[in-house]
Amino acid sequence: MDQNGFPEKVAYYTGCLATLSAKELDSSTRSLAVRLGLELETLEAVTCCGAGDIHEAEPDYYLHLNARILAYAEATGAETLMTICNVCTLNLRQANWQLKIDDQLRARVSRNLEAVGVPAYSGGVEVRHLLWLVAEGEGHERLKAAAHRGLRGLRVAPFYGCQILRPSKLMGFEDPDRPWSLEAIIQACGGEAVDYPAKIKCCGFPIIAAREETALGELIQPIEQAIEAGADAMVTPCPLCHLSLDAWQQKLEAATGREFRLPILHLAQLIGVAAGIEESELRFKRHVVSVDPVLDKLAT
Amino acid sequence: MQVALKIWRYDGETGERRLQDYELDAPEWATLLDVLDLIKDQVDGSLAYRKSCRMMICGSCGMRMDGAAVLACKMRMAEVVDAGRVPVISPMGNLPVVKDLVVDMEPFWAKMRAMQPWLRPGYNEADEEREFLVSQEQMNVIHKEALCINCGCCVSECNSMESDPDFLGPAALAKGMRFVGDARDAATVERLEAYNSEHGIWDCTRCYFCQERCPKGVDPRDAIAKLGAESIRHGVDRDMGAKHAKWFVQSAKTTGWLREEELIPKTQGWVSTVKQVQFAMSLMRKGKARPLPIPHVAEGVEEARALYDLVKEQGRDGALGIVQGEHALARIEFTEEGGARRAAPEIEPGVEPPPAEG
Ligand code: SF4
Ligand code: SF4
Ligand code: FES
Repeated sequence: MDQNGFPEKVAYYTGCLATLSAKELDSSTRSLAVRLGLELETLEAVTCCGAGDIHEAEPDYYLHLNARILAYAEATGAETLMTICNVCTLNLRQANWQLKIDDQLRARVSRNLEAVGVPAYSGGVEVRHLLWLVAEGEGHERLKAAAHRGLRGLRVAPFYGCQILRPSKLMGFEDPDRPWSLEAIIQACGGEAVDYPAKIKCCGFPIIAAREETALGELIQPIEQAIEAGADAMVTPCPLCHLSLDAWQQKLEAATGREFRLPILHLAQLIGVAAGIEESELRFKRHVVSVDPVLDKLAT
Repeated sequence: MQVALKIWRYDGETGERRLQDYELDAPEWATLLDVLDLIKDQVDGSLAYRKSCRMMICGSCGMRMDGAAVLACKMRMAEVVDAGRVPVISPMGNLPVVKDLVVDMEPFWAKMRAMQPWLRPGYNEADEEREFLVSQEQMNVIHKEALCINCGCCVSECNSMESDPDFLGPAALAKGMRFVGDARDAATVERLEAYNSEHGIWDCTRCYFCQERCPKGVDPRDAIAKLGAESIRHGVDRDMGAKHAKWFVQSAKTTGWLREEELIPKTQGWVSTVKQVQFAMSLMRKGKARPLPIPHVAEGVEEARALYDLVKEQGRDGALGIVQGEHALARIEFTEEGGARRAAPEIEPGVEPPPAEG
């Protein structure tokens, strides 16, 4: 498999949220993988990536936790560790980059891993988000073939969030100021991508518990702009952005006295709808903002 | 080459704002600043912008090109022209505009001053009649932070500052780390207390715009993470942001996965959580939270616990844990710019460099 090719098998890292409040993301991803002919080897014996918080509180522990995830991914024999969350992607890529580039560091961390019964890590894994796998090349062709039901020109606002674009020296997939991957996917699914400036900005999630007011001041921008641009729904590759955009939208409504009700879809759900995956797998009932207006529009 | 661009003009006295088109011939090597100089000389003498060194040192010429802050003297126009773009030039964000591309830097300097950006040593060389040597490894901790040229490009797109204008922001906090990490400074805890204020380090939303924009490789977001790690190391952890971060460590150690349902109470305390009962109920109805959280324990979590103990024993606590990656960064940068420096002794991790020759 070349750098941007489509792997037949990946080590699959669910991350915390897809096993907790965003279970619908995990079930959608698994159903979608079947349609794409992508074999998922789920990593079971792994932990949280630290979500940037362990990186900030205990950086050396952060590095070791992520090295452990990478080591178990390498042990599956897959070359790609697939993520479905922006924050997991940044944390794992950052640790991977440090470990690949610094032999002495990797030797120390590997020694520590082995001391507690984890395989050493040799640096043989590439961390890639599902978004990147289906945005171009063979994966994109398979996506087009799978999305046979289409989206009937549904107007979808792409929301990238931060940690899939920046820092670009760790991400490197697309221009962080002019990204195109979500737009390409929306179009391939038969939808119409809506453009608005805040699509590359922050949803406020990292500080939503500690600085709610500042966070809501960030959250309102994409929601307001997408609605103004005529979006029927918004799609995001990150479950943390999803939680902020979907669950905290009611707080935004309470704070501003306005009504938004913008349905927010996970990336795998958007493709899933176009691919005709059953509602029982996409599990829209778990969303706080109802997705029914979107489903009604597609049914007519 | 033929360069076309649009510039936002602003008259501070009348408040009038308009987008003006320019097109002119410029040499292949021209930077954005060279193009502005040509416009001012040959087309329109009334255009206002700041410059001084023209070589990425003074930090005067920060401005936005298509919404992204750049140093005008660093930005080569050839790549923009080749891409067929007609860029829009505007003043930096998060600072008041005075005229055209000139912003008022006073709020920037006020935050800088609030960091007490001077050394407060705990010794007096003259009294003790000896030298205090600082090792290369100790200086590496603040190597990147010391590269800042106060240009404000990082502040321009700071998402937290846009929402909370009082946020100290990336440049000031990177300066703070430059002193917290300085082995000669004795005011560490006092500084950390100050930087942990309402508008301090835990107000950062980790959007990484600062890291993306900084033209000097300061990586301000990493500097803020270092301040967080130093705060927790020194027990300065009353802020909700610190409690939030510590809960992730606690979760990883005990169950492996984030104990998400307990995150809000652990961050904000039970009293304010109870006040949010309506919000919590709405999440429970959707299965996003449960009334009695039952932590989901990861397979092999005892390995994660053992790793924690091992790492703590090795004592690379605080900012030191982040510095590791920077040795790698130093190597990449030196390698790209001159392969000969790859094996330079001063960038070998953890090794004291030999004394300079001559
Ligand atoms: S990462 Fe933090 S300091 Fe940097 S631009 Fe974003 S909010 Fe501002
Ligand atoms: S941190 Fe970088 S972008 Fe910010 S003021 Fe300093 S040099 Fe400029
Ligand atoms: S003119 Fe001095 S940094 Fe650009």
